[in-house]
Amino acid sequence: MARDPVDVCIIGSGAGGAPMALELGRAGFKVVVLEKGRWHKKEDFVHDEILNSRRNFFMPLPWDEPHLVRGGVDAPFRRTNEAWTANVVGGGTVHMSGYFYRLKPMDFRLRSELGPVPGANLADWPIRYEDLAPYYDRAEEELGVSGEVQPHPFAEPRHKPYPLPPLWAHPIAKEIDAACSALGLHPLTTARGIISRNYRGRAACHYCALCGSYGCESDSKSSTLAALIPAAVATGNVEIRPQSMATEIEVDAAGRAKSVVYLDANGVRQEQPAKFVVVSATAVESARLLLNSQSGRFPRGLGNNNGLVGKNLVFSSFGQSKAIFRVSSRKKEWPWLSDPAPFVQRSVQDFYAMPDARHGFRKGGTIGFMWSHPNPIYAAINIAGTGRRGLFGKALKDALREYRDSKILEFEIYGEFLPNDGTFVSVEPGVKDKYGLPVAAITLTRHPTDLVMTKYLVERGEEILKALHPDRLERVGIAGETTILQGGTCRFGKDPAQSVLDPECRLHEVPNVYVVDGSFMPSSGGVPFTLTIVANAFRVANLFVKRHKG
Amino acid sequence: MDRTTRRIFIHRLTFLGGGVVLLGGACKCNEPGGTKPATAKRPPGIVRQVLTTSHRTFTNPEFAIVSALAERILPRDEDPGAIDANVPEYIDRMLQSPDLHQMKEDFLGGIEAIDRRARARFGKGFTDASAAEQDELIAAFKDAPPDSGEAKFYELLLTLTLEGFLGDPSYGGNKDYVGWALVGFQTTAPPPGYDGMKLLHQHHAAMHAGHDGEP
Repeated sequence: MARDPVDVCIIGSGAGGAPMALELGRAGFKVVVLEKGRWHKKEDFVHDEILNSRRNFFMPLPWDEPHLVRGGVDAPFRRTNEAWTANVVGGGTVHMSGYFYRLKPMDFRLRSELGPVPGANLADWPIRYEDLAPYYDRAEEELGVSGEVQPHPFAEPRHKPYPLPPLWAHPIAKEIDAACSALGLHPLTTARGIISRNYRGRAACHYCALCGSYGCESDSKSSTLAALIPAAVATGNVEIRPQSMATEIEVDAAGRAKSVVYLDANGVRQEQPAKFVVVSATAVESARLLLNSQSGRFPRGLGNNNGLVGKNLVFSSFGQSKAIFRVSSRKKEWPWLSDPAPFVQRSVQDFYAMPDARHGFRKGGTIGFMWSHPNPIYAAINIAGTGRRGLFGKALKDALREYRDSKILEFEIYGEFLPNDGTFVSVEPGVKDKYGLPVAAITLTRHPTDLVMTKYLVERGEEILKALHPDRLERVGIAGETTILQGGTCRFGKDPAQSVLDPECRLHEVPNVYVVDGSFMPSSGGVPFTLTIVANAFRVANLFVKRHKG
Repeated sequence: MDRTTRRIFIHRLTFLGGGVVLLGGACKCNEPGGTKPATAKRPPGIVRQVLTTSHRTFTNPEFAIVSALAERILPRDEDPGAIDANVPEYIDRMLQSPDLHQMKEDFLGGIEAIDRRARARFGKGFTDASAAEQDELIAAFKDAPPDSGEAKFYELLLTLTLEGFLGDPSYGGNKDYVGWALVGFQTTAPPPGYDGMKLLHQHHAAMHAGHDGEP
């Protein structure tokens, strides 16, 4: 049935949707947010690894709602649960670790900086860093970001300090600093979307063991659920409708969006008429929704008459190594090693970009240090292994005792992911989810340069770890991608023939439809996407209000 | 390898901070006839003593085998073992989850298979075998080809044992936090009266709401 019309219907309540809801609500627009997942209270987030991490608390299951993934156009699709972020009010910001780096000015003009790269679809952004900078300030202030401004070779210009001082760092940070300095590198304090002091009615972080991958039980993590949605609802103009799965955007005879069709918590079809539709369901799922919204006017999907919706999908290039330190053998040298402080709080961006291609790549990324995730079942299953090398019995217990006596320092790479013709989202009409909708199909082809780059950054990270003289160094991988960080399926740009969205993130072909998740990003950059998505959503909201108010 | 254990269906899904996760129950949507319980096909190796069992999933003899298996995975030595942590109780309770219906059937089939292997090899049931004999059987299952029913049962057993040893005590295992003590895990435990299993079932029920809605 058709609901009462509203000004704006927003699909998704995460990093993109929530800032839009807040700002449009403040400006007096009547807003409905359709969120596919449940609306949790902070009390629902408990330190229960089985509930949180080992069952489908955040992510759907591949037999209910699969994503199809294949490694290149010639490979067969397989069903997975990859490339989902949390299906909850607040989206992926609920379970994020909150590594809140900004992009660098060069990220906005990658094509100009690098020139043509064979096999890659590089594009400059239609805005500059300077255009987004005020909204980075805004995002950091609204969400609550803890950090400190430090000079380093790739430090982005900024006009304001962080709203909150840095989080307390484990003493190992000082050792990383010394190791980096000896190598001629510039370690920096990682900015975090976690509040280090009480902030706007939210309690400061109490440094529990379980942060990333968990929802925060004290609202200290700066998810949109904790930081933006209560304020949006308090405007009196915003209604959050959880467990509402958008299935299609309907258009009128003139080709403008007129409503969003969705299934409510009982599976009943509803229709929400709206003057404007804002799509923010993740780069993969937003592309899927547009591609599934087919009509006489848009037979290939909404806003897709140029065939670019779903193209140029990017993730974040991933690599990782870990250093194992035995606490007992370090007791004299590092008596503080067993300190339970959960955050390492150090990053290295010296390899964010290279002056020339002597190492086989020009654009790199960030090396971020952290303690290995403390989930004990997760750790034990990895330690036990299976097959001929698998451990059980006394050998397994000895290995678990060794783990108890260890601190495991890891780094993770957030590297540029070169967009290419072989990496895109399509829909598979033959494979449907539990709602009966064709599912998103991801074709993933890695540009060889990405792998050269990731390996190089992993090796540099390992040099830092080696300088700390660990008992053991283990390389996890040099050729991965972090699929919870996703962008690029609806590139923004000035040329309607080359992009899906205009610089204000409206569909070129349907100007009353906005897309504000990571989809707009023509390139991944060398940092996690979340803060940039939030900042851009504040930018788009500001332009929306200017254009449509009064 | 008998037919029952070959049916074991394990999913390796990467959830956040979960690494490799095992979940059962896929068959209900994807495999025609997959929901049919294997109970009827079970050979008479173990007599199900439903009326006398004091457990939820297992008969008393099955519970004894599960206890013996879990204890060989994590034996008591200078530190507590699986039985000290109430791991069998955890497995017994966890396999009651409606979403794990298929996994329960598969797990029961695996218990039977290893017990039958014990009888064939040593002329006695698994629980009557010596610790060394039990280890030999478990190792044979562990080292079987990766896609075999034996290897999958081992992985399921290992995973459920580690979940029971290291999960929140409200699920029935990790008694007196002995598992967390072994690995040195420290956390603020959930509030008093917390019942993870109940929440898990409620969450799954909520996830399944609206399933049948036709768009």
